[in-house]
Amino acid sequence: MRLRVVGLGVRLTVLAMFAVFFIAPVVWLVLAPTKSDKALITSSPFSFGDFHHVALAWKHLDAFSSHIFRRWIGNTLFYAVSATAITLVAGVPAGYGLAIGRFPGRKLVLSLTLVVMIVPGAALVLPIFLELNAVHLIGSSLSVILPFAFFPFGVYLAYLYYATALPPSLLDAARVDGCGELQTFLRVALPLAKPIVALVFFFSFVADWNNFFLPYVVLADSNQYPITVGLWDLLSSTPSFNPAVGGGGQSVKIFKPELALATLIAVVPVAIVFLFSQRALVRGLVGGAVKE
Amino acid sequence: MARVEFDDVSKVFADGTRAVDKLDLQITDGEFMVLVGPSGCGKTTALRMVAGLEDISDGVVRIGERVVNDLTPKRRDIAMVFQSYALYPHLSVRDNIAFPLKIAKVPKAEIGRRVDEAARILDLEPYLKRKPRALSGGQRQRVAMGRAIVRQPAVFLMDEPLSNLDAKLRVQMRADIKKIQSKLGVTSIYVTHDQVEAMTMGDRVAVMRKGELQQVAPPQELYDRPVNLFVAGFIGSPAMNMLEARVERAGGGVAVVLGDARLELSDHPWLAPYDGQAIVLGIRPEDMEDAAIAGDDVGPRLRGRVELREALGADVLVHFAVAARPAVTEDVRELAEDVGDDRLRSQDAAAATLVGRFSPRTRVVEGDTVEVSVDRNALHFFDPQTGLAIRAR
Repeated sequence: MRLRVVGLGVRLTVLAMFAVFFIAPVVWLVLAPTKSDKALITSSPFSFGDFHHVALAWKHLDAFSSHIFRRWIGNTLFYAVSATAITLVAGVPAGYGLAIGRFPGRKLVLSLTLVVMIVPGAALVLPIFLELNAVHLIGSSLSVILPFAFFPFGVYLAYLYYATALPPSLLDAARVDGCGELQTFLRVALPLAKPIVALVFFFSFVADWNNFFLPYVVLADSNQYPITVGLWDLLSSTPSFNPAVGGGGQSVKIFKPELALATLIAVVPVAIVFLFSQRALVRGLVGGAVKE
Repeated sequence: MARVEFDDVSKVFADGTRAVDKLDLQITDGEFMVLVGPSGCGKTTALRMVAGLEDISDGVVRIGERVVNDLTPKRRDIAMVFQSYALYPHLSVRDNIAFPLKIAKVPKAEIGRRVDEAARILDLEPYLKRKPRALSGGQRQRVAMGRAIVRQPAVFLMDEPLSNLDAKLRVQMRADIKKIQSKLGVTSIYVTHDQVEAMTMGDRVAVMRKGELQQVAPPQELYDRPVNLFVAGFIGSPAMNMLEARVERAGGGVAVVLGDARLELSDHPWLAPYDGQAIVLGIRPEDMEDAAIAGDDVGPRLRGRVELREALGADVLVHFAVAARPAVTEDVRELAEDVGDDRLRSQDAAAATLVGRFSPRTRVVEGDTVEVSVDRNALHFFDPQTGLAIRAR
């Protein structure tokens, strides 16, 4: 009995330590914009300042380079949504084709999909740069959207779903009921794959939203930056991180609270997407189709 | 409505498996044809070739006057009920039934009318708004039927539609499907491995084995006049008893000798050419009776020791061992394996256990020695080499 209490105590302590370790930075980040740059150092790290400072931080952030922060958020949304849309339109049917179709080269395509899936995106940036340069796309929106839209993981997820969870008799039924191959996909296979579409949408959107390296390399004009590159730009404009600025009486008022606010705002869309995707993810749709 | 014709149809899969071999079968307009056979006999493949879900390797399939070999399922004017029901889980019952009509762009009012009609026939009216997952097995099965009949197709194809239902529901649905089919008069091909379903539902039954058609006949003919050992053993429950026997000339006629028993047969002259040869003797359980209550003392007799008595109410199944060898041909072994019966491997080859369907008045109990009278006019004889039935020309 005593041993069990001790065991429970040890477990709770270890769990609590990990929880604190991961939650503390998030709490600090959420509280940071409520304080002044100075208070951020002098007051307790987890104290709440006031909302006045949040408003002030936003004013400074928004004033930076004449509202460029809003533009960055807008850019990121545009890049991520466009690329994710292409990913869904191309990736889900591709996974379906790989799972259902019987065509020469199917196994090769499948293996290639797996291989490129495990190659880190950053490793491909240089060849992609050269490719984009060859077709004169460097510096355009497409130079970000097109590489983003290449999402083999999405193809593989869709393939896995269709190969394992979709009863073949459903597709047969659709064919007998008068559907051609396209209608079979659109009317039966696609609606049933809602959880997978949501999953692919979520992973693709988050990957695109968070991608830093590719846009950093291919975009030169700060007006085109997504928020990731924008935050880097902000960082280099903060006197605390880059003493070269701010010293000479410049109007840049980007300090740690402004940075913290910018980071928080940058995370919000991803959190929203997660909430919506998650609802679709947990819904089991195939129940009742065929005899279990 | 249309007739369906298999003309020398074969199906060879990519791995070389010959699932259907030179199938010749004509199904007349409005007929209810049952394809029956053990698993792997090619019945489902044959059905799927009519549906257009399986390519035809060789031969011709016709629906009506049209050769359909290269037509997509959509253009064959067929409807199919799947073993798994294959209902669309994201659609309501109404939308499931309406699905083929929507695809065919039937006007909305007409769709509504036909779905309501189908729902009425199948007692599905209270469930039209539900999703398939909220239905019981029997209801799902009826929705699958609804989706088929609403199209008013030329041919119904049914692939073991009742095998996922419990026994009681199966009996009821069996009758329902048969009633609906004869009411609508639509040519139907029904695949099952259950010989009781085959016998009760089919206008004619086609027995298949290893891709080959064995016999096509109305159910009673199949039962009374099986063309070979396989059909004889497959149709009927309990199955026909099969024994090794030898033919001998006796007086004016012949006698069949099995173990220490001898059945004198004066009116079976067609067995004479088999004089001195081994044959397989088949006896249906109901063609035997406890001699003590049979009231006939001239018929041939078998003597055995009762091993098991199963009272079914209307009759009694008596398992008794006789001093004769069970006939173990390839067909018999395959049939036994199909039903998961591995006794043939272990059974003492010198003693066959027969099953007799006796009147409930029989008094025999386990351990008794029983005298059994056999209806000599109902005996079946088979050539052990070819497996073919031996009978009067």
